[in-house]
Amino acid sequence: MRVKFWGVRGSLPVPGPKTERYGGNTSCVEVRSAAGTRIIIDAGTGVRRLGKDMMREEFERGQGTAHVLISHTHWDHIQGLPFFAPLYQKGNHLYVYARRRDDVHLRAVFASQTDDPYFAIPIDETKAEISFRELADSARFEIGDVGVRCARLNHPYVATAYRLSVDGASVAYVSDTAPFSDILFENQFIARPPMAIRPLPEPDRAKLRAMRDGVVRLCEGADLVIYDTMFTPEDYDRYPHYGHSRPQDALDVCREAGARRLVLFHHAPERSDAEVDAVLEATRAAARQARLALELDAAFEGMDIALGTEARGTGETTG
Amino acid sequence: MDVTFWGVRGSIPAPGPGTVRYGGNTSCVALRTSAGAWLVLDCGTGARNLGLAMTADEAPGTFASGGAEAAILLSHAHWDHIQGFPFFGPLYVAGNVFHIYGAAESSARLEGILEGQMAPQYFPVQTLKNMGASIDIAALAPGTPRDILGCRVTAAINPHGRREAMAFRIEEGGRSVVYASDAGYGENGPSAEALALYRGADLLIHDSTYSPEDRARYPQRGLASVDEAVAAALAANARRLALFHYDQDYTDADVDRLLDRAHHQISKAQSPLQVFAAAEGASIRV
Repeated sequence: MRVKFWGVRGSLPVPGPKTERYGGNTSCVEVRSAAGTRIIIDAGTGVRRLGKDMMREEFERGQGTAHVLISHTHWDHIQGLPFFAPLYQKGNHLYVYARRRDDVHLRAVFASQTDDPYFAIPIDETKAEISFRELADSARFEIGDVGVRCARLNHPYVATAYRLSVDGASVAYVSDTAPFSDILFENQFIARPPMAIRPLPEPDRAKLRAMRDGVVRLCEGADLVIYDTMFTPEDYDRYPHYGHSRPQDALDVCREAGARRLVLFHHAPERSDAEVDAVLEATRAAARQARLALELDAAFEGMDIALGTEARGTGETTG
Repeated sequence: MDVTFWGVRGSIPAPGPGTVRYGGNTSCVALRTSAGAWLVLDCGTGARNLGLAMTADEAPGTFASGGAEAAILLSHAHWDHIQGFPFFGPLYVAGNVFHIYGAAESSARLEGILEGQMAPQYFPVQTLKNMGASIDIAALAPGTPRDILGCRVTAAINPHGRREAMAFRIEEGGRSVVYASDAGYGENGPSAEALALYRGADLLIHDSTYSPEDRARYPQRGLASVDEAVAAALAANARRLALFHYDQDYTDADVDRLLDRAHHQISKAQSPLQVFAAAEGASIRV
C-alpha cells in the first residue's frame, strides 16, 4: 500500500512563501493498493494536482475508476472536486462516499457546490459517471482489495474517520476531530467555549467515551495514523468549540491503539513552515518522554509512504 | 485612492513554490479612499489576509474593536470570488457594518447565494447571522451610478462563459479605478457599455487569465487573454493597466511572460499606457 499526501492544510488553502515546504493545499490523501485500487480520502484543493497526475494513465483514456472517501463536507475537504480532471473525461467512474445524514443527501451537497451561480459546470453535466454512497457511522465495506472501516468523529456537523487495510498493512485517517473530553459536537452552532458556562452532562460524556473507544479501535495496530492536529494547546484553550485536536491528543490515541507511526495533519492556515517544524519537534520530545515507540512526522505535500508488502518490497519510505 | 492586491489568481488557489512571487490566492482587491473609506473588490481567499491586516489595529472604532464600516463589491459568485468571505475576520466583529453589492436578480437572491456558502454542511458557522457584523446585502443594477461610502460607483455587465460578471468603476477625489475581472468578450471585444465604464480610467484592473494560445484553447471559459486586456485598455484610453486573475497553472515565469507580451503590444501601439502585473501584497496609489 502506498499513501501519498496532496493537501495537508486545514480551513482554507494558504499560498505563499511561509507554506512552501509543507504546502498550502487543503486536505487530500491518496491510497493505492499494490493491485492498483485507488482511494482518495478527502477532496480539498490538493485533489486538483492529483487529478492532473491521474490523467497520464487510464483516466486519460476514460477507463479509470476512483473512489473518494469524504470525512465530512466542510469546504476544505471538498473544494477541489470540481477541479478534478478525471471528472471531465467520458468513461471514467467516480464513487463518492460520505456519512449519511437526515437533513441533506450527499448528492445535493455536491450538486449545490457546482450549481449556478457558484461554478460553471454542474456536476450532472460532467462527462464521467459519479455514484454517491452514503455510509452509516460504523460502516464496514470493501473497495476492490481494500477493506474499509468507519468511525464517528467529534466535529461540528459530524465527521467520519476511515481505516483502510490491504497488502498486509493498515492506515487510519482521523480528521477532523476535537478531543473527546470537553464538548460533544453534533449539528448545532457553538458560538463560544461552553465549558465555563456548564459542566458536560453525563450522557454527553458517555457518548464521547464511546466515540473515543471507537477511534482507538479504528487505529488499533495501524501501521500509519493520520490525525487532525491543527491546534496547539494554546489554540485549543481559546477555541475548543472549533472541533480540532492537539498533537498530544493524537499521541494518546496512538499509544492506546498501539499504532506504529503517526503523521500530524490538517495544519492550521496560519502555521508557517518553521512553526510546523517546531510543533513536530515538540511532539517528538513528548513522545520520547512518554517512551512511546512511535515514528512521527508532519505531513507535507508530496510525502509518499510505502506500507506493508510494498514497504518490504522497496525497502524504505520516500519523502 | 490606495489600491492593494490581496489575491490575483483565478479559478482556485494555487499554493506552491511556483506562485510565490505573484501569489496563489484567489481574487481580492482592497481600495482605500483619500477619506479613509474601505471598498473591497471580490472576496476570494485573498480576503483572509486582508481581514488580518484590517484588524491589526485594535484602537476604538476600528475593524478589530467593532464600529468600522466597509463596502464589498462582488463581480459574480463563482467560488474564486466569494470563497474567502467566510474567512474574512472583520465580519466576525459585532459593531462593524458591511454593505455588500453584487449582480443578482434581487437583494434576497444575493443574500441566498452568500448564505448557501455558509450552510452547515459546508461551514461550521452555518449562517451569515452567526457572523456578528451587520451585513447589508443589496443587488446592484448596471448603468446608474450610486454613492457608496463617498465614492461614485458605476457597474457594467461583461459576458463570462455561461453567465456574466459585473465590472465596477469607482471614482473619488477626481480619480478612477476600474475592476473588470472575468471578462469573456466575444470577437468584437468589450461592449460599448463596458468601454464607457473603462474610459480614461487612472487604473484599469483587467482579467488577463491567459496567453492568447490558452485563450484559444479554452474559449468556453469566458476569460480574457493578456492581448484582450491590453486592447481594452488602449481602446478605453486608460492610463494604467493591471494584469489580473492569472490561470491557476501559471507559474511566476508564465506571468512574467504575460507582462512581457503586454509591454510588447503597448509599444507596438505606440501608446503611453503603463502596465504592471498585479502581485499579492503590492499597493499602488492612484
